[in-house]
Amino acid sequence: MTALPQSVGAATTRSPRRRARRPAGLPWILPALVVSVGILYYCIGYTAYISTLDWDGASPLQEFVGGANYLKMVKDPIFWQSLQHTVIFFVVSFALRVVLGFVFASLLHSRLYLRTFYKVLIFIPVVLATATVAPVFRLIYAPTGTLNQLLEAVGLGSLTQLWLSNGAFALFAVITIQVWQSTGVSFVLYYAAMGQIEPDIVEAARLDGAGDFRVLRSIVWPGVRGTTIALAILTAIDSLKTFDVPFLVTSGGPSFATEFLGTQIYRVSIAYAQVGYGGSLSIVLLVLALAAAILINVTARRRERLDV
Amino acid sequence: MFETRRIRTRVGLQILLTVLVVPFVFPLVAMVQGSLAGAGWGNYATVLSLPLLPGFFLNSALVAAGVIVLVLVCTLMASFGFSKLHIPGKEVFFWLLLACLTMPGVVLLAPLFATVTQVGAYNTLWAVILPLAALQIPFTVLLTRNFVDGIPDQLIEAARVDGANMFQIFWSIMLPLMRPIIAAILVLVFINSWNEFLFPLLFLNTPEQQTITLVPQYFVGQYNNDQTKVLAAAVLTGLPVVIAYICLQRFFERGLAAGALK
Repeated sequence: MTALPQSVGAATTRSPRRRARRPAGLPWILPALVVSVGILYYCIGYTAYISTLDWDGASPLQEFVGGANYLKMVKDPIFWQSLQHTVIFFVVSFALRVVLGFVFASLLHSRLYLRTFYKVLIFIPVVLATATVAPVFRLIYAPTGTLNQLLEAVGLGSLTQLWLSNGAFALFAVITIQVWQSTGVSFVLYYAAMGQIEPDIVEAARLDGAGDFRVLRSIVWPGVRGTTIALAILTAIDSLKTFDVPFLVTSGGPSFATEFLGTQIYRVSIAYAQVGYGGSLSIVLLVLALAAAILINVTARRRERLDV
Repeated sequence: MFETRRIRTRVGLQILLTVLVVPFVFPLVAMVQGSLAGAGWGNYATVLSLPLLPGFFLNSALVAAGVIVLVLVCTLMASFGFSKLHIPGKEVFFWLLLACLTMPGVVLLAPLFATVTQVGAYNTLWAVILPLAALQIPFTVLLTRNFVDGIPDQLIEAARVDGANMFQIFWSIMLPLMRPIIAAILVLVFINSWNEFLFPLLFLNTPEQQTITLVPQYFVGQYNNDQTKVLAAAVLTGLPVVIAYICLQRFFERGLAAGALK
């Protein structure tokens, strides 16, 4: 009956008292619930169950081991490494996505030439599959690849690196690829949000003598705050979900330097056939993703209250 | 957002924009260039002459079509229900759906694998279509509910007074009004399903059943890591989405933005 106050409110504002209740809608949402909530929650429940087993995923031999898989995880240095990579990934890619998206959006909200052309160029990486672009990135970062050739050509030969076989650089490579793929999204979101800012306010500030940077800092940036928060949640979830790029470009290596929870779950469950352990990693990943989304939402709301 | 009255600043900003865009275009250029190295267009001829290639494309198209139909039917009906009809505990159902937004596909790996093999769906496209649709519906419902909330209730009440039943209202009043958001969902879901990598990798194991995202890997095996052929294959797999995006660009951005602004 949670919907009741809402319909009563709607009735009193518009139509006479005796307005009939809204027609029943449960059958309308049923298909979505069955396909989405049904499959996904069934899988989560199943995963939670599997995570208490010692099982290879195929054989009829399943041994109940309780929390042993979770204990194993806490003691697994690769698990902590994956988490650390996720945090680094989140911090760096969030900063880059925000800065690049914001700069592109404000530039393309100015009167410049060929704006649609630039927009399309920034967005094309978003629509391309990681599987499609992975070969070219392997080529770019290869020892005799495009990036090193380019560095040689401009006289910075001393900066050439074995990008994908050095741990720190490999992680950096994975992050740049993901930023390359996702800046288009942050750009489009900022672009739309900036479209909602009243041009009058900007005009008035200009008349009062505010320069470009003052306008950006004091009017535009606070004006798109909602988008920045949405991006924080998106990036947090993306960081936890990271799978395609490290899997296809670095396979989690060299020696686990680009291992993320996603690639670890895949390796443990498929290559090592430790489905139970993979299940416990999955449950932790899920809890972290939900917690991150809630945490960012709550802190953003509290800040808002303090601001006002 | 920048003052562009002076021609100097305008040129300066244009140059800044161009410089910033270069890193985004560079890999694309490298990809096309690499695909033309060595045998030139011959690389494409080799890739295109592979008898299995049309199959990869067909499978991807079938997966995309299946997911689109499922997502559209579920999403349009659900957003109408959530936005305009009476459902006890409505917000609870809605939050159950929204919680799925955070769900990484890789988490579903073990249970899906066990279920798929059990029901005999392994190596069929259904094993990819159903979970993909399940993962996309939460987002599209969120997007569409926001949109439908903007359609005035009076329209529906007027139709009811005139004696229309719910199905007629949905079909003849809501659907035509929802056309812009339908277009946005279409592009979004098409691109996501066309680009899906993990589920086809897991559930489709014969080349006859596989989708185009597995093509670059297939070519790595086939051509002994001949990069030019792999890149030519990659360009070919990327073309359909780029074309779809450029044709429907306006809808796509509008849809994405509509979902995030609320």
